[in-house]
Parts: sequence; C-alpha cells; structure tokens
Amino acid sequence: MTAHSRFEETVLPHLDAGYNLARWLTRDAHDAEDVVQDACVRAMQYVGSLRGDEARAWFLTIVRHACYDWFKRNRHPEIADDDGTAIEMAVDSAALSPEQMLMRGDQARVLADAVAALPMTYREVLILRELEELSYKEIARVADIPVGTVMSRLARARALLQRSPLLQAIDGHSSGGG
Amino acid sequence: MNCNEVASLIAAYADGEVDRLRGHSLAKHLAGCAGCAAKRQAILDLRSRLRAEVPYYSAPAALRNRVLQSAAAAGASRQTQRPSASERWRWLLGGALSGCAATVLAWVVGTSVLDWRAGEDLATEAVGAHVRATLGNHLIEVASSDQHTVKPWLSARLDYSPPVPDFASDGFALSGGRRDYLGGHPVAVLVYRYHQHIIDVFVRPQQSVTATPALRTIRGFNIARATGSAMDWVAVSDVSPDVLSSFAERLARNQSPASDARTQ
Repeated sequence: MTAHSRFEETVLPHLDAGYNLARWLTRDAHDAEDVVQDACVRAMQYVGSLRGDEARAWFLTIVRHACYDWFKRNRHPEIADDDGTAIEMAVDSAALSPEQMLMRGDQARVLADAVAALPMTYREVLILRELEELSYKEIARVADIPVGTVMSRLARARALLQRSPLLQAIDGHSSGGG
Repeated sequence: MNCNEVASLIAAYADGEVDRLRGHSLAKHLAGCAGCAAKRQAILDLRSRLRAEVPYYSAPAALRNRVLQSAAAAGASRQTQRPSASERWRWLLGGALSGCAATVLAWVVGTSVLDWRAGEDLATEAVGAHVRATLGNHLIEVASSDQHTVKPWLSARLDYSPPVPDFASDGFALSGGRRDYLGGHPVAVLVYRYHQHIIDVFVRPQQSVTATPALRTIRGFNIARATGSAMDWVAVSDVSPDVLSSFAERLARNQSPASDARTQ
C-alpha cells in the first residue's frame, strides 16, 4: 500500500480528533489549523511505521508534538509551568458574575471557559480522556508520561473544574434540575 | 475494601480502568457507602456535562481540503504511473466535500435542540462503543457472513430479535455481530465490511418517533441514523459520509414490514 493511501485510510478519519486536540491546546482556531497541517505532513512521512489499530492515538501523539513545537517556535508562555492558578485568575477576571452568566443562559460557555483556563498539562489529559475517550494507556502514550501521572493529572484537572467558583455557583442554582 | 482503598481507585473505576475483580469489590462497597458513591457520581456528572457543554471542534472544511490536496500531491509525485490512485483521491475529495455539505445541512435541518441533544448523545455513545470494540479487539463475537447464523446468535442473547439484512451484492459484506451497550441497554451490533472499511451498525427497538435519517461526524467517524422495521439503526464508520448515509437509507428502506415478517 502506498504511503498516501495508507494515510487516507488510517489517519484521515481522525482529522477531527487531531484538530479538536490542537484547538484545545492552542485555544485558537487559526493556530490549530497550522498545527494540524504540520502534523499531517509528519504523519504522511511516518505512516509506514503505524500499525492499523492504533491510528488515533498515534496521530494524536503527532499532533501534540506539533503543538509543543509550535509553542516553542512562537515562544508561547503556555509551556511555562503552571500549578493551577491560571484557572482561578481566569475565573476572577471573567467580566460577568456567575449570576449574570446564568441569566444569559451561558452555562455551557462557563464550563468551556473553565476547561480552556486549565493549565496545559491538565487540559490535555482531560480532553484526551473525556472528549477523545482514550484509555489511560493511550493517554500515557500520547502525552509521553507514565500511567500514574495520567491518573494524578486527571484527578487534579477534575478537582480544579469541580471547585471552580463559576461552576459551583451554577451547581448551586441548578441542583434541583440536575 | 475500606473507604481509603476505594478513594484511590474511584476515578479509575469511573473511567472503566479497573479490572473485573476489583470492580466487583468496589461496586459492593459503593452500594453501602453514600460518601464514596457520591465521589463516583461527581466524576460521572462532570463527564456528562463536559460532553454536553464543551464544544468538540471538528476540522474546518478548508483544512480538510488542504490536507487532502497535499496528500494527493505527495501521492501523485510518487505514483505517477497509477491513475487509479489519483482517481480514488478525486472521489474521496468529492466525498469529503459533499459530506461536509451534508453535515452542515443535517445541522441546519435538525428539528429541535432537544432532539438534537438526544441524538448527539446516542451518536457519541455509538462512536465510543465502536472505538472501544475496535481497540479492545472484540469487534466481532460471532464471525459469519451468513445472516442465518448471526441473527439466532444475537436473538439468543437479547430480549428482541434484530433483523440481519444482507447487502453483500451491493459491496457491504456481513462479517458478523456482537453484543454491545447503548444507553445502558444491551443492543445488537452488525458488522459489515465495505472495501477496507468496517461499518458498525447498532440495532435496537425503535425508541424515538423522529424518523429523520441524520448524518453526523464525531471524532472523525461518520454516523448515519435511520429508522425502519420498528428498529433504530445507527451506523458508525470511517467510510465517506455519502456512502454511509446511502447504506443507512438502504437499511431503513429494505426493512419493510413484509421483509421483516419473512426474516422472523
């Protein structure tokens, strides 16, 4: 099988997954497109080394590498270590109070904003687990960390979201309706 | 198991990463411990909110086209002697474009937000089940191209008897079936092969009145839905959207009451 037909059959079905990851890591639609295009060029080059049954995790690994390279090239502050204060700052700096957000029916935006405000290392494992539904083993491979670290980062990401003041305000309001 | 042991495993349990034996002890503990059960529920609640409220960004059509073009160019430069390959690419490009159009259309025509949400959850779940089955290597539990082998196997394991249509003459070869879960209930899954692609078809007794066949793309997989023969049909595959939707339509169309009576 030729490289490009292999790419077509194994990698292309996961273009959305790759873009979604890049979009959540870069938090910018234009940057995500650049990153995914770069990742596709690499994927085409190395598609020969891919076993068919793990195409998604394989492609997501490449997308993640492309993201981090992009951050380095652009001297992005994102890769500086962050212990989770960003989410609290982001929440504090939100222009609207939780009540105002609720009045506007922006509940969905609140959670999306809270995820976007998570530090990169927590955001990526959360997206890979909850949106891409990868197993711990696959996440460990994609993020290049041990399974134990996947678990601790996932726990931290969930805790940050659960104790985010905005979300707690919403949970308080909607506890009757679920 | 005590609460401390449970606390260290509760997230893995909610993520489906605990082996059966431990899962059993955990379930036993949770049944009698409201505190630990609430911790698990909090993770599940957060997950369903994330999946419902946080956007899943699909690749823009322009990006998909650029990738297709550069892949085709790379392929063409290496394979100038093979017109069939580039022809396949043109077909794929056309398929992707019309697929994008069909997806946009399906979005626009979506009857109501509530229906859309319910369908979205079903489609997301079907994709999740398909991916798990593929990765876990249990795509097919009963391997047979004979509908008279697959149908009794499924009927014996479910509380309904799913129709098992045969479309081998149209290029969709029945490969087998398995039992999977959708919405917390066991459902029949028929597995077809179309060229190199696998098509998973979830079949369950009809639960919604909306009979609109809808097409969606989730996580790079296309999902086509149809209703017919008192069943809901959800097809999940990485084949191009137009092929999948015509297959789903055929499933719905071919399942007339007459043909269903015959298969029973």
